[in-house]
Amino acid sequence: MTDDPTTAIRPRDRDTLLQALRTGVVPRVGQQYIQVGRANEVQALVSDINRIADGGSGVRFVIGEYGSGKTFFLNLVRSIALQQKLVTVHADLSPDRRLQATGGQARSLYAELMRNMATRAKPDGGAMSNVVERFISEALKEAQETGRTPESIIRSRLDQLTELTGGYDFAEVVAKYWQGFDTGNEQLKMDAVRWLRGEFSTRTDARAALGVRTIIDDANVYDQLKLLALFVRLAGFSGLLVCLDEMVNLYKLANSQARNSNYEQILRIINDATQGTANGLGFIMGGTPDFLMDPRRGLYSYSALQSRLAENSYATNGLVDYTGPVIRLANLSPEDFYVLLTKLRNVQAGGDPANYTITDDGIRSFMGHCATRIGDSYFRTPRNSIKGFLDLLAVLEQNPDQDWSDLIPQLEFETESNPDLEPLPEADLPDKVTEISPQVTVTEPPQDDELTSFRL
Amino acid sequence: MMNSLPSVSDDPAEIGRAFDRLDGSVKRWIWDQGWTELRDTQARAVAPILDGQLDVIISAATASGKTEAAWLPIISALAAQRSEGGEVLAGVKALYVSPLKALINDQYNRLQSLCELAGLPVNRRHGDVVGAERRALSTAPDGVLLITPESLEALFVLQGTHIPAIFASLSYVVIDEMHSFIGSERGAQLQSLLNRIELATRRRIPRIGLSATFADFTAASDFIRPNYGPEVCIIDSADTDTTDLQLQLRGYVDAGKSFDADPPPDVDEDEVHSVDKRAIAEHLFNTLRGKDNLVFANSRAAVEAYTDLLEQISVAHRVPNEFMPHHGNLSKQFREDVERRLKAGDTPTTAVCTSTLEMGIDIGSADSVAQIGAPHSVSALRQRLGRSGRRGQPSVLRIYVSEPEIDSRTNILDRLRSDLFQATAIVELMLEKWYEPPNVAGLHLSTLIQQVLSVIAQHSGAFAKQLFSALCSNGPFRHVTAEMFTQLLRDLAEHEIITQSTDGTLLPGRIGEALLNHYSFYAAFQSVEEYRLMADSRVLGTIPVDYPILVGSMMIFAGKRWRVVAIDAPSKTIQLTRAAGGKAPVFHSSGGEIADGIRQKMRHLYESDCVPAYLDHESVQLVQQGRSTYRQYRLATGQVVQAGNDCIIFPWRGSRITNTISVMLTVGGIKTGVDGLSISCHDVQLDELYAALADISAMDPPDGIELASEVPMKIFDKNDQFLGERLLSQAYAARDLDPVGATDAISLILDSMLQD
Repeated sequence: MTDDPTTAIRPRDRDTLLQALRTGVVPRVGQQYIQVGRANEVQALVSDINRIADGGSGVRFVIGEYGSGKTFFLNLVRSIALQQKLVTVHADLSPDRRLQATGGQARSLYAELMRNMATRAKPDGGAMSNVVERFISEALKEAQETGRTPESIIRSRLDQLTELTGGYDFAEVVAKYWQGFDTGNEQLKMDAVRWLRGEFSTRTDARAALGVRTIIDDANVYDQLKLLALFVRLAGFSGLLVCLDEMVNLYKLANSQARNSNYEQILRIINDATQGTANGLGFIMGGTPDFLMDPRRGLYSYSALQSRLAENSYATNGLVDYTGPVIRLANLSPEDFYVLLTKLRNVQAGGDPANYTITDDGIRSFMGHCATRIGDSYFRTPRNSIKGFLDLLAVLEQNPDQDWSDLIPQLEFETESNPDLEPLPEADLPDKVTEISPQVTVTEPPQDDELTSFRL
Repeated sequence: MMNSLPSVSDDPAEIGRAFDRLDGSVKRWIWDQGWTELRDTQARAVAPILDGQLDVIISAATASGKTEAAWLPIISALAAQRSEGGEVLAGVKALYVSPLKALINDQYNRLQSLCELAGLPVNRRHGDVVGAERRALSTAPDGVLLITPESLEALFVLQGTHIPAIFASLSYVVIDEMHSFIGSERGAQLQSLLNRIELATRRRIPRIGLSATFADFTAASDFIRPNYGPEVCIIDSADTDTTDLQLQLRGYVDAGKSFDADPPPDVDEDEVHSVDKRAIAEHLFNTLRGKDNLVFANSRAAVEAYTDLLEQISVAHRVPNEFMPHHGNLSKQFREDVERRLKAGDTPTTAVCTSTLEMGIDIGSADSVAQIGAPHSVSALRQRLGRSGRRGQPSVLRIYVSEPEIDSRTNILDRLRSDLFQATAIVELMLEKWYEPPNVAGLHLSTLIQQVLSVIAQHSGAFAKQLFSALCSNGPFRHVTAEMFTQLLRDLAEHEIITQSTDGTLLPGRIGEALLNHYSFYAAFQSVEEYRLMADSRVLGTIPVDYPILVGSMMIFAGKRWRVVAIDAPSKTIQLTRAAGGKAPVFHSSGGEIADGIRQKMRHLYESDCVPAYLDHESVQLVQQGRSTYRQYRLATGQVVQAGNDCIIFPWRGSRITNTISVMLTVGGIKTGVDGLSISCHDVQLDELYAALADISAMDPPDGIELASEVPMKIFDKNDQFLGERLLSQAYAARDLDPVGATDAISLILDSMLQD
């Protein structure tokens, strides 16, 4: 994962990368150009991926503060997994997307995962049809080589699925896809893919469309992921990697029962992974230290999880152990951040040092400006400062006669907030009314600075 | 009509065109009803509601078609939206919030035909709606939603992430019985929920309030749209109240118990049923049996005592008992059984209930309403009266007031017959259509706590600054400053209601989570707490505490005077010891704040000679006794009476000011107790009292918060127990104390003492 700054960067990668960073989201491609440090952590995950590709299993918790780059790290690992011929699915958890629920939130997580299914050939998601297609074409290929009918080969492969929980209907649906493929029935093919993506919401609809009695719902999400792991291997991929981000949303659930039932699912996943009963299936989950360690609401509040996830007590004071289930992402240091900015400069220049728009001194001056405006968080949680830096580079690129030293002092940084709790704009009031009654009293803007940094 | 906007025309021609502006389907419905024209209120409401921007208050008497005044233009606007074509947007279009399940069920049936013509589904949601009807809202929200504030709260807590979708295309909010919300905890909850809907949908949604009439609409306008009250369009109907009212006030004399011989103190006042109670119960039995009635008593003890008596009478007559108690301490099953009996037409039932439950329960309408003991407010009496006569029958109200027998040692307050005068004053004011100005000074911190937790649950955590902005600085809790809010959050953290994650997000704490996970969280109100009275480790009884009790102050219970030795707020216990002194007045705590206007009306009644027609023979006698006492003590000019070693002050002001004077005097070193109308000052001569009052008057009005810190019992509302001392004092001062008014009243008292 080392990069040579003199390597040219493809314009397409450059633009996607910069666009993502400037809108504040984590890029899906080109992470290797801007990865800074964390070589050991990446190496640990690479060995996980290799084990999964070997038919093994794995589960990792990537734990870091807000903005420490968990999502970035997860995407990097995902892109490595795709290179290793794994199928990846990924989703952010939210109050409406959980591992375990009774109101459709688990099915909604499953559907989101399936929408984001990616393969090396289709890294941007929506790869479910390709995977099924690939399963069929593999069978057809074998049929040609062995002279058996495709039907019998597909049936014998699907037999392996029926041994797992819920496997019979899963196999039945794949068989329907083959039937649709064989008879040219596009609707049947589409319905089968829809079923596999968890998009049927009632059993009646599923039965009418495909003749199966079950659907993927809240109760069987994890079982379906296990089936899917086997299925992608039957289709010729090396395994399935499930990336779950924003696990902190489980920690934030207000209902303790809902929280605990989700932690129970996580326990099941850990047990299966460590006992080797989930073949070719890996999980990687990103969350904050609160999510892991809070004794009342975090994973540690569930004693069975605490004993399984406890960190190696010898790995302190600079000693490290990257083989445990928990990987900690340390915050970036100012030095790391400096390297990151030089890499961004490199990406922006398309990998050609002749095109650099800002000098090393300019980068240092920018960091100084950030430090005075937003404090430590400019390098600890660098999302906003990266955005600011790329904005600066964009202006410098398009206005070559401008000097960075004039622009840096003018840079402003956005602060993040939940738009749903912000006050409504005054302009929303009907104008005519405001004119009629000028005596409208609007309360003084309160002094709520103290609340911005409120600590209990 | 006041504060009207030019867009609301009073031009008769304009109003005449109102019908033409309605949608075809609504016109067809009006024809189907056989109506020949729109009533005045209905016609005047069309233009401002169709406008779709204005907040409107429609105020009219009951049965004058004011709900239709709101629904006709609303349904018309929604039908027009729908027929304009295009895709029908998902989401609720009109939200109707009502304080009562019964009103929701009633509206549900009445709206069916109108909404069917317009092609709009009607959904309802309250505690009794289950199953498929409930699910319809989350799977395919559409049309009209009828809901209680509590169910709306549940929607925010349980389906927080769906709120923007459910209300995405909301065009109108209707608030029924709006007057009952103003100034209450439940009202603050409703304001907050409506504000949160607007925050979720990111736009302002016009609100239509249906209300009883007010002399002054300022409070109502400011309630419906905080900070923008003057812009609210008010449609105040000139229609007179068409419902008939049959009214009787019955007086009784408590001659059964002798106060000469000291009764043993361990006998509860209510265990031995006195003669007057028997007489009242006999009258209730004879007049109410065979129909559905509601009997309101002012305390749980009274409810128990009367149901016990009525059961005894039923047994004696060998007839099935139709009289059932209904109050907050009874099990839910028992209460629901009574409610079912009242709703079913074939089982005549009379529920004997407390005032505190009048808004929360669903008991439909009754044939008649009775009130035992003096009511405490005009609006409460109107609310109770409104429970009878809804089916086109006249409203029937009987008030039973009992006064003690007078002998040579009876004190002045009993001689004044103050309960009877209070009841008469309230009835007179009700007939004059006077209302208490709602107390809008309250901070509603208890409800703010509920809303903080609810917002946290809705968004899975929130920052302190966001909470303050959404609820306080730009929300309905605008009297709460940033400093108070910070203190509130700290108090909550101390009680494990909230906790904070490392990034600053506030989350429910251990106790807060338990609160959120129980359905009782959704209600902002609770029945008033009653305190236990103890003397030498014996329980004397319980009382609802609605006036300040301080250590060392005097109080009256079971016909005797007591001094307060200790108060333990967490266990709600008051330790008493017998105090010397003359015979105590029989003072019944009436369980609520009494407004200045009522006390002024009482004084007016004492000075007048007229006898209202609705008084029975006995109460006429009592009125005359009261008036002669008033003259005997020359209360027309004097406001302080010396009685033995005590002085009795008559401020003739509402309970807020009376309480404040009492607290001020106690702080000034005088042992006082509030006996309803008057303040008794113990062991003090007139000149000492004059000096003390003059001292108070000479200073600037004291700080309410400092006064409040002297009051040990400040926990009134549901979540007050989680507040620290400082915030409790601030809330108490804002809601229950009026130092400026008290200082004014004291200077009048000083003047009257000088004249003497």
